[in-house]
Amino acid sequence: MVGLEVKNLSKSFGNLKAVDNASFSVPEGSIFGLLGRNGAGKTTTIRMMMNIYMPDSGEITFGGIKAGPDFNSKVGYLPEERGLYKKMKVLETLLFFAEIKGKKGRNVTRLAKEYLKKFDLADRMNSKIETLSKGNQQKVQFISTLLHDPEVLILDELFSGLDPINTNLMKNVILELKERGKIILFSTHVMSFAEKMCDHIAIIDSGKIKLNGSLTDIKAERSQRNISLNYKGDISFLRNNSMIENISDYGNSVGIKVKEEKHIQELLKLLVDNNVEVNKFDANDISLEDIFIDTVGQEVAQEVKDA
Amino acid sequence: MLNYRVIALIRRELREKLLSKAFILMTVLLPVLMFGIFGVQTFIMSFESEKSIIEIVATSEIIAENLESVIGESSFVKDSTIIPIISSMSKMEFDNYIKSKERDLLSEKITGIIFIPESALIDKRVKYYSKTPKNLRLLERIDNPINQVLIERYFQSKNIPTEELKYARLSVDISSFKVSEGEEIKEEGYGNLILAYLFSFLLYLSLIMMGSMVMQTVIQEKSNRIVEVLLSSVTSKELMIGKILGAAITGLLQMAIWLSPVILVASTSWFMLPENLAIDITFLQVAYLLVNFFLGLLIFVGLFATVGSIFEDPQDAQSGMWPVMLLIMIPFFISISMIENPSNPVAAIASMSPFAAVIVMPAKMAMIDVPLWQVLVSTLVNILTVMAIFPIAGKIYRVGIMMTGKKPSWIEVIKWLKYKY
Repeated sequence: MVGLEVKNLSKSFGNLKAVDNASFSVPEGSIFGLLGRNGAGKTTTIRMMMNIYMPDSGEITFGGIKAGPDFNSKVGYLPEERGLYKKMKVLETLLFFAEIKGKKGRNVTRLAKEYLKKFDLADRMNSKIETLSKGNQQKVQFISTLLHDPEVLILDELFSGLDPINTNLMKNVILELKERGKIILFSTHVMSFAEKMCDHIAIIDSGKIKLNGSLTDIKAERSQRNISLNYKGDISFLRNNSMIENISDYGNSVGIKVKEEKHIQELLKLLVDNNVEVNKFDANDISLEDIFIDTVGQEVAQEVKDA
Repeated sequence: MLNYRVIALIRRELREKLLSKAFILMTVLLPVLMFGIFGVQTFIMSFESEKSIIEIVATSEIIAENLESVIGESSFVKDSTIIPIISSMSKMEFDNYIKSKERDLLSEKITGIIFIPESALIDKRVKYYSKTPKNLRLLERIDNPINQVLIERYFQSKNIPTEELKYARLSVDISSFKVSEGEEIKEEGYGNLILAYLFSFLLYLSLIMMGSMVMQTVIQEKSNRIVEVLLSSVTSKELMIGKILGAAITGLLQMAIWLSPVILVASTSWFMLPENLAIDITFLQVAYLLVNFFLGLLIFVGLFATVGSIFEDPQDAQSGMWPVMLLIMIPFFISISMIENPSNPVAAIASMSPFAAVIVMPAKMAMIDVPLWQVLVSTLVNILTVMAIFPIAGKIYRVGIMMTGKKPSWIEVIKWLKYKY
């Protein structure tokens, strides 16, 4: 079922086209990853979704209805650049942010205290924000996006600057929310997180959506005749081999595409025969990182050619 | 306009402002300081009026006798703040006498000795001997009866009736009357003049204080990146309204605290003010002052918030707020200048001009009877000013709060007005 839909969104700043006709949709109860390099247009897209920037054109719908101020109160938003009132106390801060979303009263206070306990901050309830460590401030900010029980969570660069334990804590909370049918959209340039968590992805580059859909479908489509290889040794002999369609070197792994299905076994034999030490040989598999670099990289190559 | 989001924002602003040290300090300290200065003055004055023993020596016995009866009538003798000891002796005797009294004068057992020589009947010159001879208050009091006696004595030999002498003794006494429509002509004291000064000053102080307070929070929200979180919940218009109303309520409360002693003095008879300091202010005027002040807060706090939104660094903002400061300071100086001549034409125009009306009109009203239509025009001008600046200020604010990085130039800020945000 369609939850959140972005249709033909565009935004320019002067001559710079920050977002160019972007469209994607996020089904209910799913986790969506908006992936892109720094400056690709992720934050601008998200800010338009939150009505912080007015789009030049296009619209956002939620449950088929055009998003307005009511939509904003159904969303929990964590901006990339976090900010809290330094002089306010922790609990006070949480209650204030819930109040401007229209939620207040004893239940909110109780929920706030529960979350603080969960994030190991119960004893800091009446501390001023400025006395908290950066990581703890992040946790407070994260709680403030959840406290009003939003339908949609929009998290810009959620995991930046978090230690593994807190990352895990937040990941669990997000998965829990997904179970409860909430929509979670997060932007990141860290592919390993996206790969583990996302049901759907969109890759954005230079303001354009390059790839969009369910991660499983995308992988299935791209992984045919594709081998993900980790190895030690020299594979330069493959370069002029007639059965290889193309080789992409991603540093710690190599993506190899063969021309026909039957070439996969031949390739493995060839590697062994040439004394290459094969650590990982994944047939019909492609990592999200491979897909990302493949998608974005092609475009960069194209641009260079055009220029 | 006043939805739950705006109310939440106002509540946060109030909680932050009303409990801030700066606010409490200013609100409590300012009246204490002002009344303190008055208090210290009265305290010091009360010292000298404790008891002064003044010896008056005249060479003429008749003058001494006359002085005795005239001074005896004076209020300062009746309430015994000054105790006169009057005697007569010749010049030679006095020269010895003053030497013998030197110790008493130095120990201030006697405050001073006045010597009236025979020649005083010709040139009215008398001598005053004291450890502190420049005691103006004391001399001011005592020179009147001496003058009176000398005049009487001088004209006695000239056969002039006492009636005419009385007239000659009188000094010119100007009583001021305030002419106002519909009311009886009333004698006017200095009370309202002081009130006009005081109110102009408080208005000026409060507008600047509230304005820069809001400017600081806008800059803080911008540089702390809180604004983006806020904007995901509230619109920029709601945010701005919440801030301005929060500050306006704070300012109004502060002004009410500052003015409450004045209102108390004016509206009750608990405090006895000397007649020439009587404050003539009606409830309607107080209500007008507060409405006017509220409109002023909306205008100027709005402008300060806008300036704050343009800058990210408080120091840049300090230099960027001078146009707004001028809009407050020039009318303030016009108000002050009006105290010399309340009907000066610059003030008349300023009292009905945008921005200036807020500050000039109340001062003008305290001093002269302003026709009702002018008060209404001034209020209308203020309301129109609010309505005119808010779309522009709101637009700059909208763009400004999300602009980070380079400090923008004024030309860029004007360009923002065309942005679609």
